[in-house]
Amino acid sequence: MMQSPALALSGLHKHFGRPAVDGLDLTVRRGELYALLGPNGAGKTTTLRMVAGLLAPDAGRIEVLGIDLARDAAAAKRRMAYLPDDPMLYGKLNPVEYLEFVAGLWGVDARTAEPRARELLDWLDLARHAHELTEGFSRGMKQKLALAGALIHEPELLILDEPLTGLDAAAARQVKDLLLSHVEGGGTVILTTHILEVAERLAQRIGIIQHGRLIAQGTLEELRKQAPGATLEDMFLQLTGGA
Amino acid sequence: MILRPGTALWLLGHELRLFRRTALASGAHGGKGRRGWRIVGGGAAVWLALHAGVYFVLRAAGASTLSFGAPPHGFVIAAGAILLATFLFMLSSALKASVEALFDRGDMDLLLSSPLSSRSIFSVKLAGIVVGITALYLFFLAPFAHVGLLLGQLRWLAVYPVLLALAALAASMAMLLTLALVRWLGARRTRVVAQVIGALAGALLFLLSQAGSFMSRDDGAPAPSALARMMGAGGTIDADSLVWLPARAALGEPVAVVLVAVAGLLAAWATVGLTHRFFVHGLQQAASTSRAATRPGSIRYRFDRSLIETIVVKEWRLIWRDPHLISQVLLQLLYLLPLCFLIFSKNAPHIAVTGVGLTMLCGSLSSALAWIVLLAEDAPDLLQSSPANAATVRVAKLAAAVAPVLLLAAAPLAWLTLQEPLAGAFAAMTVCGAAASAALITLWTGRATTRSEFKSRGKRNIATSLLDVCSLLGWAALAWLLLRAPGAAVQGDLAVLGMGAAFAVVLAVLFFAWLLRNRSR
Repeated sequence: MMQSPALALSGLHKHFGRPAVDGLDLTVRRGELYALLGPNGAGKTTTLRMVAGLLAPDAGRIEVLGIDLARDAAAAKRRMAYLPDDPMLYGKLNPVEYLEFVAGLWGVDARTAEPRARELLDWLDLARHAHELTEGFSRGMKQKLALAGALIHEPELLILDEPLTGLDAAAARQVKDLLLSHVEGGGTVILTTHILEVAERLAQRIGIIQHGRLIAQGTLEELRKQAPGATLEDMFLQLTGGA
Repeated sequence: MILRPGTALWLLGHELRLFRRTALASGAHGGKGRRGWRIVGGGAAVWLALHAGVYFVLRAAGASTLSFGAPPHGFVIAAGAILLATFLFMLSSALKASVEALFDRGDMDLLLSSPLSSRSIFSVKLAGIVVGITALYLFFLAPFAHVGLLLGQLRWLAVYPVLLALAALAASMAMLLTLALVRWLGARRTRVVAQVIGALAGALLFLLSQAGSFMSRDDGAPAPSALARMMGAGGTIDADSLVWLPARAALGEPVAVVLVAVAGLLAAWATVGLTHRFFVHGLQQAASTSRAATRPGSIRYRFDRSLIETIVVKEWRLIWRDPHLISQVLLQLLYLLPLCFLIFSKNAPHIAVTGVGLTMLCGSLSSALAWIVLLAEDAPDLLQSSPANAATVRVAKLAAAVAPVLLLAAAPLAWLTLQEPLAGAFAAMTVCGAAASAALITLWTGRATTRSEFKSRGKRNIATSLLDVCSLLGWAALAWLLLRAPGAAVQGDLAVLGMGAAFAVVLAVLFFAWLLRNRSR
């Protein structure tokens, strides 16, 4: 039996006065790192928020790991995690308390959650800040803690909106390593980014979205075939009319 | 006149320009300039109305017939009372402004990194506080000076320098106190303590007035008559006492005006001279407190809580660790103090008043906590993107809001029950009802917001505020009717009718709030 894709969007529509997502069809296979690119206002964040269950689509269908989001949102949410571009943490909680709370929301068993929390805090170099309230954290530390929260329940599908914005080189490397490791472990990652080099280096497939529609998709090689000799940046600018 | 850039006066001009624009913008609530000017127009209309009111009061008091000599003692006492209240409120505002100057850094990094001296910066910050406070209270008190001018009392224009001097005194005291707290307690605790002291200063007048009306002297005479005796001829604060110096200054006695003005100037000068360096030190300390830590020691991992426990613990932690928010919520408890006077007075305890007070206090505390817990969620996306059942999350949040209120009311309720078991049971019922109703009204009719909006929450959602007030009044009326004679109350037809009406009001309010929920969600 064929395994259902990690994410399948069909005919997705969302209007905010004008169309933000306009009949989007997109399929992301399990175990791949998929980068969704697009200029500002292209509909990337709106798409991801609909997939995460934060926005209801006007029309269309969202399937997460074979589960229809409209039918059983809780079952789909249990198997995925969403990290917004500016994640809100609770300033008056320390990292361990934050992870306790997130694990509680996802109903993670204590025997699984505790070692996982220790592992994530160590991995992301946050263990030595475990006593500190997050209100004093730098942007990078907050981003890493939010990522740890997203990973505490070991989601099969990880959705990240601009996960590397504002991170220094070391923090960005840590996050990239974590994402690659998640994919190597069989998980799926969908991310949006403005840093084309990140998409070029990390993503197995790249989708380019404009005016709420997918205008190009494929591996880097497949995209390059459309414009031989061009860099991803050249192709992106050419496709989105930014050149 | 163009001031030379970089001087203290130039910086003061810059501060005043910011003050003016901020005042206009806050009036406009972020709207366009035209709305700001409409607010100014409305303010001017209120100010003119104040003038008219003051005119009638002063004419009735016979101000137009006063001779040029020393003002009558009655006028001095009235002016003294007004100035005492004004000074306490000024102190409260100045403490708030001092804390803001230290902690809400704004342009401080820019100023301190410039070649301006710390003395100039501190002088200007202090002057900014003085001007801000003076402007606020002149709005209310300048009409006395203007109307006095109309009634032939030119000397009442002394209200202007006297208010400025009192503001300088209040600002200096507030800044010295804030900096002293930074030195003794550290910057982190100072913020909360200064805010509580500021609120206490503002509420002192209310508390004193309540204490006065409940306490009686040993000989049975009420406190107000004892006060009158102290102010009478030969009393400790008679007409010749220095206590009345500011009042006599405001009424235009030249020597008093000079003394009060000199006192204000001296206080500001000494504050700047003595503490400008420590102000910079305090700023540095305040900036270094952003990395706060929870209890040191080994980290405790507690992943074994249920969903409800997890949410309740998280909400309580967030409230407990936000001293600013706690101080604002607990300020409502200040108004519990007069209840304590009632409970522990030598006279027979006023059970009905205590029950009504407790009911209203618990309802209003529950409403405040429910607002924080239910509406000011820091990470709504996290909750919404989780698989946690939304109804369970709501129940847990309601529990987190109501439980601390009931815990707080437990001791006075236990005391009431010991005194009169039936009254205790009735009071427990109305307290629980008021607390639960307030939380439900917030849940059903409130709109998501941020914690920084806490102080202005009443203005932001008029429907919730109105329903809250109606519910509180309904429960308070029920408490009054049930507790005024617990044994006999149920026997009177009129009392039963009243109780039925009060209960119907409460139910109607809840039903209406529930209807609003259906429309908005």
